[in-house]
Amino acid sequence: MATTNSAIEVSGLKKNYGHAVALNGLDLRVETGEVAGFLGPNGAGKSTTIRILLGLLKADGGVARMLGRDPWKDAVSLHRDVAYVPGEVNLWPNLTGGQAISILSKLHGSFDTRRQNELLERFELDPTKKARSYSKGNRQKVALVAALSSNAELLLLDEPTSGLDPLMEQVFTSCIREEAAQGRSVLLSSHIFSEVEKLCDTVTIIRDGQTVEAGALAELRHLQRTQISVEIAANAGELSAITGIEDLEVAGTSAKFSVDQDQLPSVLSALATYAPRNLVSAPPSLEELFLRHYSDNSGRPVGVRAGEQS
Amino acid sequence: MSTQTAHGRHALPSTVSVSNKEAGHNGAMTGFSTMIWFILRRNWLRLSIWALVLASMIPIVFDSQQQAFPTQASRDAYAQVANTPAVAAMTGLPYAAGSLGGILVIKIWMTLAVSLAFAVTFLITRNGRAEEETGRTELLRSRALGRHAYSAANYFVSAALCVVTGALISLLCLAVRLPSTGSWVMGASIAGTGLAFIGLAALCGQVASTSRGANTLTVALIGLFYFVRAAADLEAEGMSPSPLSWFSPIGWAQNMRAFGENNLWPLLALLGLGVVGCIFALRLESSRDMGAGMLPERRGPTRATRFTASALGLPLRLQRASLISWFIGLVVSSLFFGSVAQSMSSLLDPSNPFARNFVGGGATMLDGVLGIFVLFNALLACAFAIQSLVTARSEEESGRLEQQLAGALSRRTWLMTHLIIAVLGSGVMLLLGGYLIGVASQGAGEPGLLAGACFSYWPAVLLMLALQLLAFGYLPRSSTVIVWGVYGLSVLASMFGGLFSLSENVIRATPFGAVPRVPAEDFNWSPLLVLLLISLALGTVGLMRFNRRDVLTD
Repeated sequence: MATTNSAIEVSGLKKNYGHAVALNGLDLRVETGEVAGFLGPNGAGKSTTIRILLGLLKADGGVARMLGRDPWKDAVSLHRDVAYVPGEVNLWPNLTGGQAISILSKLHGSFDTRRQNELLERFELDPTKKARSYSKGNRQKVALVAALSSNAELLLLDEPTSGLDPLMEQVFTSCIREEAAQGRSVLLSSHIFSEVEKLCDTVTIIRDGQTVEAGALAELRHLQRTQISVEIAANAGELSAITGIEDLEVAGTSAKFSVDQDQLPSVLSALATYAPRNLVSAPPSLEELFLRHYSDNSGRPVGVRAGEQS
Repeated sequence: MSTQTAHGRHALPSTVSVSNKEAGHNGAMTGFSTMIWFILRRNWLRLSIWALVLASMIPIVFDSQQQAFPTQASRDAYAQVANTPAVAAMTGLPYAAGSLGGILVIKIWMTLAVSLAFAVTFLITRNGRAEEETGRTELLRSRALGRHAYSAANYFVSAALCVVTGALISLLCLAVRLPSTGSWVMGASIAGTGLAFIGLAALCGQVASTSRGANTLTVALIGLFYFVRAAADLEAEGMSPSPLSWFSPIGWAQNMRAFGENNLWPLLALLGLGVVGCIFALRLESSRDMGAGMLPERRGPTRATRFTASALGLPLRLQRASLISWFIGLVVSSLFFGSVAQSMSSLLDPSNPFARNFVGGGATMLDGVLGIFVLFNALLACAFAIQSLVTARSEEESGRLEQQLAGALSRRTWLMTHLIIAVLGSGVMLLLGGYLIGVASQGAGEPGLLAGACFSYWPAVLLMLALQLLAFGYLPRSSTVIVWGVYGLSVLASMFGGLFSLSENVIRATPFGAVPRVPAEDFNWSPLLVLLLISLALGTVGLMRFNRRDVLTD
């Protein structure tokens, strides 16, 4: 196996479906041992990227390497070290969930039977039921148990919690933390900001098949504005005199505004002269970060280009 | 009060209102007429196809039988030999084989009656248990809809299909100038069979908790009652029905004896079974929860066996039920073909151009008939092979292939396992089928020779599989339609090519026409080698293309 620091290295990845462009020069990097969040609205190209990484789709351009190997040519050997959970899990209706788990695990190669039994219990999954009678959440659990009990170096998770209830989401979160603690790398494609904020070291945000933001979650926050609500003795309208304050909203003696990270010290010291009675500052959430990239100038969220395929 | 459905495509006019007059006991039937329109809206095409296809068999079969037995003398000769165990077991006692009406009953009555039973089974499940399973019934019942309205409307529409089909059959019998009483009894006995099975299907739909379970249970009952009456007809003395025949609703309908005694009273028993079954089914519906059944859902193993989890084991396990039924079908049909070969060849008039064309140019009529049975067997084995390989595409379409390939399984290995089952399975079917035809023919054909004759169609089957691989590689989304289309055309060309006045050269250029029809024709290696080479080339191209293309889910 080639030695490399990166679990996933993708640059300039391109994929077309007929005339529809799914990926248009996408970049993605996941370092070994890192939990990476992969964000984007429906149709942005998350699943297409993951399918290319699995060698199920052939890229039309760009470079993709996974664990230092070529995902198309080395698909079979690569898959011994990679586990995958699709967003939409389809099982054989006349086999039981337990049978499906054995089949998927055996296809993968090596797996841990003890861990499998433990996961079945934690996810409260009855393996003797036919897959036909499973709900979406239970089918998802089958794929999760098979993936998490494998001895894979890298987990590719495509919206893995889309059918799970909040309790099961917590089980999932703790399982991923355990995987990360063992030095495994994880690519987590998700819509759930709180989940990504809880679990991920880095985030890649994509739109229309292109990467628009990537980096460590902590760093990305620094690039953003802090929201401040304040109540002062005088009319809050006077605050407009301070340089660095933007989006000011005034209501009597209280005000709301946002401040760029580098302006924060000067704004705060200027604010002190107004003797604030109450001050709340909120760091930018991932949701705001995400929505900023998907809003047009008027601040309304915009959809994906028409004709785009998922 | 208006009832609207969630389905845009099937949306009902909002003016359809449910009056209080039709609200039955406790309002359990509120919305009955609305649901009838709803079911018709969703099923009109399906219903029309069933009725028209079944009824159209009457003129088609009548025409061919009139040509095969043009004179009263030929019919009388047929009546002398018609009562073979095979005929009795498959289609019932040939009580009126000396008349065209009686011959029509032998040739088509059982097929139509059993087909109608299948039709109502599938319809009742489709609009009953399947709707409940998907949760659509719940959505409808959350509106002002009586508890029994949907089920009762379902039974009513299925009953209407039986009545309409029966009436069409009677009218078409009258149209070809068959005796009028017999014509009406013919339609009534077939409709009656359907009505009786509505009662059984309704019960099964309440008892089972899945649509698959409901269909399996009713189909098992159809099979059971078919075998009861087969046993009854086998043990009957002469032409009088055996007492055992009264233990099967199909037997009741047979005992109406269209174009024979023309009894109408067994129709009452058939109607009674239908009505009692439906009433009892509605009772069960009142006493159970929405979505629940009477039978517990079966549990399965906690983990897969080593074999099921292996690359070849999984497709075999997935096709297990289908493989078993194909082989049972093959054994039954081969034994049947073999047992009728001798009598059929002595019946066919060698001077009749229809018969000549159909059986091909054999030295004797017997060789011609055996040749066509060998071809039947080959077409059956080919249908199996295609259906088996189609599972590869359905694995891909459903997204299950993605999860398998995300494991350490190569595309080539995966496709090869599916191919091996189709290739080897069809080979075994050909050899076994040919051998059994020979065994059952009691000396008319030599088992070893017929096994070889069948097996020489293997290259033709392989060619169809190669075409399927090619389509799977290049046009995966339409590959299933393409291969069944090509198969249908090949069947027409090889079986009826002569009748459609296709030239010999054209027929020879089709996969099944290219193979020499032993024993009617002399064996020849060269067409088989050509077929093999083409298969190899096309199959390889298809395989290579699949290795290179995207995995396409639906």
